Amino acid sequence: MAQRRISGDRLFITVVYLVAMCRAVPIGDLLDRASQRSDKMHSLSTLLTQEMDSHFPPYGRIPNENAPFDCQPPHYRRPMEKKKSSGKGSGESDLMSLVRSLLQAWVDPLVILSNSAITLPHPAKSSISSKIQELQEHSKSLADGLDILSGKMGPAAQATSSLPYTGGTDLGQDRVTILNKFGFLLSCLRRDSHKIDSFLKVLRCRAVKLQPELC
Amino acid sequence: MMKKVGGVILLWLLLLFSQLAEGKRYSPPGKPTLTSCRSPEKETFTCWWEPGSDGGLPTTHALYYRKENSEMVYECPDYKTAGENSCFFSKNDTSIWVNYNITVVATNALGRTFSDPVDIDVVYIVMPNPPEEVRVSVTQNTDWPFLRVSWEPPKKADTRSGWITLIYEVRIKLENEDEWEVHPAGQQKIFNIFSPRSGGTYQVQVRCKPDHGFWSEWSPSTYVKVPEYFPREKSMWILIVVFSAFIFFIFNWLIYMNIYSLKHCLLPPVPGPKIKGFDKQLKNGKSEDIFSSLVVSDFPPTTSNYEDFLVEYLEVYIPEERELIMEDSKELQDDSLKSENSTCDNDSGRGSCDSHTLLIDKGGGDKEDGLQSDQEGSQAEMDSKRHEEAPEEELLEYSHGNVHSPDISSEKVKSWPSLFSPLPQYGLSPVNQPSPPEMGKQHCLSDSLFTPDALSSYFTQPGPSTKTDFRSNYWECNFNHKQSHPLHPQTAAHEHLQAQNDTIMACVERIGAPLGVHVPNVRPTEYVEVQRVSDENMVLLHPISSGQENTCTMRRQTEDYSRVKTLNNDKGLLLLQRESMEEEMDMCPNEEEGVSRVTSNGYTASITPTSQKSAAGINASLPILDERAASGYVDTTTMFGQPTY
Repeated sequence: MAQRRISGDRLFITVVYLVAMCRAVPIGDLLDRASQRSDKMHSLSTLLTQEMDSHFPPYGRIPNENAPFDCQPPHYRRPMEKKKSSGKGSGESDLMSLVRSLLQAWVDPLVILSNSAITLPHPAKSSISSKIQELQEHSKSLADGLDILSGKMGPAAQATSSLPYTGGTDLGQDRVTILNKFGFLLSCLRRDSHKIDSFLKVLRCRAVKLQPELC
Repeated sequence: MMKKVGGVILLWLLLLFSQLAEGKRYSPPGKPTLTSCRSPEKETFTCWWEPGSDGGLPTTHALYYRKENSEMVYECPDYKTAGENSCFFSKNDTSIWVNYNITVVATNALGRTFSDPVDIDVVYIVMPNPPEEVRVSVTQNTDWPFLRVSWEPPKKADTRSGWITLIYEVRIKLENEDEWEVHPAGQQKIFNIFSPRSGGTYQVQVRCKPDHGFWSEWSPSTYVKVPEYFPREKSMWILIVVFSAFIFFIFNWLIYMNIYSLKHCLLPPVPGPKIKGFDKQLKNGKSEDIFSSLVVSDFPPTTSNYEDFLVEYLEVYIPEERELIMEDSKELQDDSLKSENSTCDNDSGRGSCDSHTLLIDKGGGDKEDGLQSDQEGSQAEMDSKRHEEAPEEELLEYSHGNVHSPDISSEKVKSWPSLFSPLPQYGLSPVNQPSPPEMGKQHCLSDSLFTPDALSSYFTQPGPSTKTDFRSNYWECNFNHKQSHPLHPQTAAHEHLQAQNDTIMACVERIGAPLGVHVPNVRPTEYVEVQRVSDENMVLLHPISSGQENTCTMRRQTEDYSRVKTLNNDKGLLLLQRESMEEEMDMCPNEEEGVSRVTSNGYTASITPTSQKSAAGINASLPILDERAASGYVDTTTMFGQPTY
């Protein structure tokens, strides 16, 4: 009995020690990994839009009607501009919070895109569908990683804003409408993935003061 | 009304014609096109357009843009900063992650023309300036210098904060070459190029690209001169020399290891002389060493090929009276020769041919004389043997022609010496056996005189001879060295027999030589070996065809079997030929019977047919011998000639 307790205590101490060791991984490296993943995501979305436009050029879309909704809620645009214009003086916590919010916001639209891609009236729908699925996986893993990361950055980074998707689950009835909406969503995805990528890279450069060669 | 209209039309026509006459044509401006919009640092951007035809009239261009989700149309704030036909958007006017819808309008007196609108997002059109301060240096104070290229990011690009992440690329070439060597450098700002050509001048350029954007232009070239260092060619020669020296040593070592085989290959040894005929020395029987050298190494030979036994496979010991015997034997040999076919095989050993020649040379003597002399001896031997061991031994003999029993016996006897005579000349054994009269003699017959057709093995077991005359007449087969012990003629007879059983076996096995006697019937060659020695001192022979086989089966396979039943009046052996094959079957069980009937001494007439089915002919006139497994062939004539018992 006493021996069991001793072994149990030792096990607990070992686990705690390992956790502490894990925490000792520098944030800069974690952010580097996160930015690599976001870079991959953005590349995928860029390819998606290019594939979409190869058969359905943007000028084929009806202007002013391809945006039934904004890519972003208007209230989010300002923080972006403010961050940019202020010379990137905003805190890392804000940036992290923003990134995580964006990632969270795209979970549902990605599901819709994935479901619609299978029956998309587009010649490259299989390729598009596979890329969307890959995007979903990357997004999920990145979100999980950022959850852990933000835990190290403080409570402010943990807060996320909810950005509900208001576009509805149905893309449309006729081919043109469907393609329009699909293309629009892809363009929004591309932009948001670029945002995520940029913010993470800014965060990375801020965190690796000991390794200036990265930035 | 009509006049007014007509006047107006006329006026317009005049104007048109006037314009045509002057050669000018005015038209609204052509359609301008937006060529590109670029942002060097993701904070500002510039758009360039290409104007269309101006239509002959001064045209102006204007750029209008509209931001995403807004209906407000703005005109380009700065037409000058970026040069002709450009529009520069400053930081204040630039919004990132916002779609810009840009259109260029060309206006002249006759009209305006709109270009196609272009949607851009600033973050996607980033094309940085080329890297700056590209420096190339050659590392000093080393034997193997290399080039180090270093650069700085473009000033405008804000890489410090991570707003832009740049990836670089370096390219280098010799000054007078055309092909560039491109090296991706990642995000680092230093790059090493190794192994430059000594004394060469290099040209280096660097460019960069944001993570999602366009490549910049190549930086202006930087030149570097590599000083002369340790020439490469010499090092190469040194390597070659070392390598070839190594190969040379290996080669020498290999030769040294194989020097002997090489010698053998290049300078083959001279073969020694081959003796085809016999020297006089050999005939005279001098120098046992020569004879021993003539003995084949694989003595005793195996039962593979009996023809090989024809000559010097026997090591025979000849006592001092050898020469006498030889002379006698020579005569006998002649006799036997006459009756025998000379088989001088090319494959046979030396002795085969030579023995014939010898016999012929020395022949000419009276056969009878030889017979007499040797007969006595050999017969005496045989008699003594027979007396001593009587029915123990069975001689299988193939006689050719002479039916007379004594003659037969004598002939048989003759054959022995004939067989033996050449032997001493060829194969005197160096083994020195004591020659007491008690010594058992063993005669093994392997004679080249035997023809392949005839299969018979002469087997005589020399009994201890009481006659001293023939002391020297015995030959011993030194198959093994068991004979070295002297045996008393009587007491040790059985012993001797036993002792010599092995040798007998050996002798018999080796004999296998076909008799050279003419065979009336062609029979397959057979070989005999002593099967066993019965209790009554009878030696049972059985034929050997291929290895050891059951005697019964052997008999079945062969047609004729004969065995020496008895010695007849000390004259010779009786061989009976079995005529019927069916009787063979009965022979096996009857073997013992037949053997047992032969007594040791009084078997002069003890031909007892164990089976009822002996040869008819033989039964009539001759005592029938059992058709026991006997290897050998008996001429029926001889049988008939034999005295009945």
